[in-house]
Amino acid sequence: MGKVFVVFKREYLERVRSKWFIIATVLGPVFMGLITVMPIVLAARTKSSAQLSNVVIIDATGSDLGARVSQALLSTTPEAPAPRVRVVKAEQVPAEETRATTEVMQRGAVGYLVLDANTLGGKEMRYAGRNATALIDVQSIERMVRQSLLNMRLEREGIDPSRVAMLTAVRLETKTEKISDRGKEAGSGLASLFFGYGIALVLYMMIAIYGQSIMRGVLEEKTTRVAEVVVSSVKPDVLLTGKIIGSGAVAVTQVTAWLGMSFLMYLVRVPILKSFGAAPAMMGGAMKIPTVAPMIGVALFLFFVLGFAFYAALFGAVGAMVSNQEDIQQAATPVMLMLVSSIIFMQPILLNPSSTLAVTMSILPFSAPLMMPLRMALVAVPWYEIVGSLASVTVGCVIAIWLSARIYRVGLLMYGKRPSFRELGRWIRMS
Amino acid sequence: MSEPAVHITGVTKRFDDTVAVRELSLVVPRGSVYGLLGPNGAGKTTTIRMILNIIVPDSGTISVLGRPHLDEAVTNRVGYLPEERGLYKKMQVRRVLRFLAELKGVKPKVADQRINKWLERLELTTAEKDWGNAKIDELSRGMQQKVQFIGTLVHEPDLVILDEPFSGLDPVNSQALKDTIVELKRDGKTVIFSTHLMDNAERLCDSVCIVAHGEKVLDGEVAAVKAARGTRNVALAIDGEVSGAVRHVLADPRLVARMDDQNRYFEIELAPKADPQELLRNVVAAGANVRRFELISPSLHQIFLERVGAKGVEEGMSGHG
Repeated sequence: MGKVFVVFKREYLERVRSKWFIIATVLGPVFMGLITVMPIVLAARTKSSAQLSNVVIIDATGSDLGARVSQALLSTTPEAPAPRVRVVKAEQVPAEETRATTEVMQRGAVGYLVLDANTLGGKEMRYAGRNATALIDVQSIERMVRQSLLNMRLEREGIDPSRVAMLTAVRLETKTEKISDRGKEAGSGLASLFFGYGIALVLYMMIAIYGQSIMRGVLEEKTTRVAEVVVSSVKPDVLLTGKIIGSGAVAVTQVTAWLGMSFLMYLVRVPILKSFGAAPAMMGGAMKIPTVAPMIGVALFLFFVLGFAFYAALFGAVGAMVSNQEDIQQAATPVMLMLVSSIIFMQPILLNPSSTLAVTMSILPFSAPLMMPLRMALVAVPWYEIVGSLASVTVGCVIAIWLSARIYRVGLLMYGKRPSFRELGRWIRMS
Repeated sequence: MSEPAVHITGVTKRFDDTVAVRELSLVVPRGSVYGLLGPNGAGKTTTIRMILNIIVPDSGTISVLGRPHLDEAVTNRVGYLPEERGLYKKMQVRRVLRFLAELKGVKPKVADQRINKWLERLELTTAEKDWGNAKIDELSRGMQQKVQFIGTLVHEPDLVILDEPFSGLDPVNSQALKDTIVELKRDGKTVIFSTHLMDNAERLCDSVCIVAHGEKVLDGEVAAVKAARGTRNVALAIDGEVSGAVRHVLADPRLVARMDDQNRYFEIELAPKADPQELLRNVVAAGANVRRFELISPSLHQIFLERVGAKGVEEGMSGHG
């Protein structure tokens, strides 16, 4: 109908033109990008701190272990000062430690490493320094000492040093792949986990943000009394429909813009990451985009549309029920509870996407729009479950809209205290 | 012109236990200015909302411009100014008006032209400042009222319904409103407005309907309503102080049935069979400096007080049995 379009147009244009929308749309991907990039950048930064080799090595092993470790450390951070190796006797260690501590305090070194008979025996070594709490630094030092010790032992067994280097060069990285009923899928298992999580979270965010903005919009129409002028021209149902479609279209616009900008950022990810100082090798597997089959894409969209309509209608009714800002949060609690309860169960469903809980939550109309897409991203959900879930959400949606339209019609012109559930029942019968 | 602008037959509307409108029937002739008069809570707004199909009557029928009032084609030909006024605060004036016009089926281009014309006419667009591009909440109260008024008329409705249009208007805007109502009538439009300001109603309306406690007290053409009351009223104006002796005469129940005392002006309803000449003689004898003594039809105000005063308080309070 033409008038739905008029209401839709106003709702859409006014929201899209608002400063808030523009800021959120532009900053959203930047923010998301930062969240994705920062860990990689941070990981790159802490991989081995630039001063890793700027240490004192107190070598009481009576072997050349200290020198070997020094070599290994220097090779990781060639720009930093080389380690100072002090070969000492076992009883001199405490005095050397005191001296090294002073050096660290005066910033002559980052830390000191004690290698002794225990180290030779493969039991322990000690490290003290400013970066002693930096897990990655300590791990790299430990790895190098272990490697050096191993090399030394092998050479003592008479193996040629060049063969040792070759034999011990084991650089292992794990690449994961997901196997579903359809066979192997592109992208890593971890990626599809993030993908599913991301979809559910975006759906949740959009429903919470735009659903509530409908609620506030309806309340505004009530408090400013525009509602009466508008409903003298269009039926309340038409008004509610137009508002829901309008807000939904704004949400779709925003997500589309986010996706588009994220994709652009993905295309130029290498220079961006480089500018942050990350090694290009790190950007391979972790950032592969999982593929989405067209049918799944359609189903995802349907779940979004239906889920949004379900909650938007209920939020609209809540907005029409109350007459002031103070009451609105309280009145919205039942609706928010339904929405939040779906999110609370996200964790267990992530861990076990085929459990009874997961299946139930992905069929119930109020949680299905969030949980079904999540499960679909994680495992191959049988088609009949998807269809059943869609049917259930559709029915729930029709009921929600029917109820809401009735509450809306009566509530829009009612002012005063918030109605009780009994009064709401009467409103529903009344219209 | 034959079909009435609004035809209400036997309409009743209940809210919970209270009856807002009971068995109301009225006819608003096309091209007339029609006053819906009554005290607060009489059911005026409910009646208007039912005409506009904002609320549905429990029983009875309403036709507007010769069609059932549910018809969308009818909705587009009606303009409405509600008692409680308000617009989207954060929206630009032009966009609000375009929205309201489009809701009534006006094409955006046509709407824009009309809006500009109206903004100029009501001095919202001047050489210095174009308020059309300002947001509603940047406007003063008076300006917002003007915008709302444009919103009521921008689709050039055949029937204009104004709920308490004079409330909250300053004298200048009040006069402008009267001029506009007269102009609408001259263009062949029908105007219905509700008010409890009888002076406005008496001067503006062709026909009136007085309602109290949800029921019609009387209706008809203003001239006929007044003529039916005969010329049993006296307009009496006195210069200078009104002495106790004069007041004593005016309190004489043999001569005066009812009196509206406005300090120096009195509208008096004569007692049955009282002789107005005797009243004049007595007033003069009491030493009053009479400036005006005239036999008149009762004012709407008097009729209203008389009918609603009796019916409204006594029967109304008893809750209609």
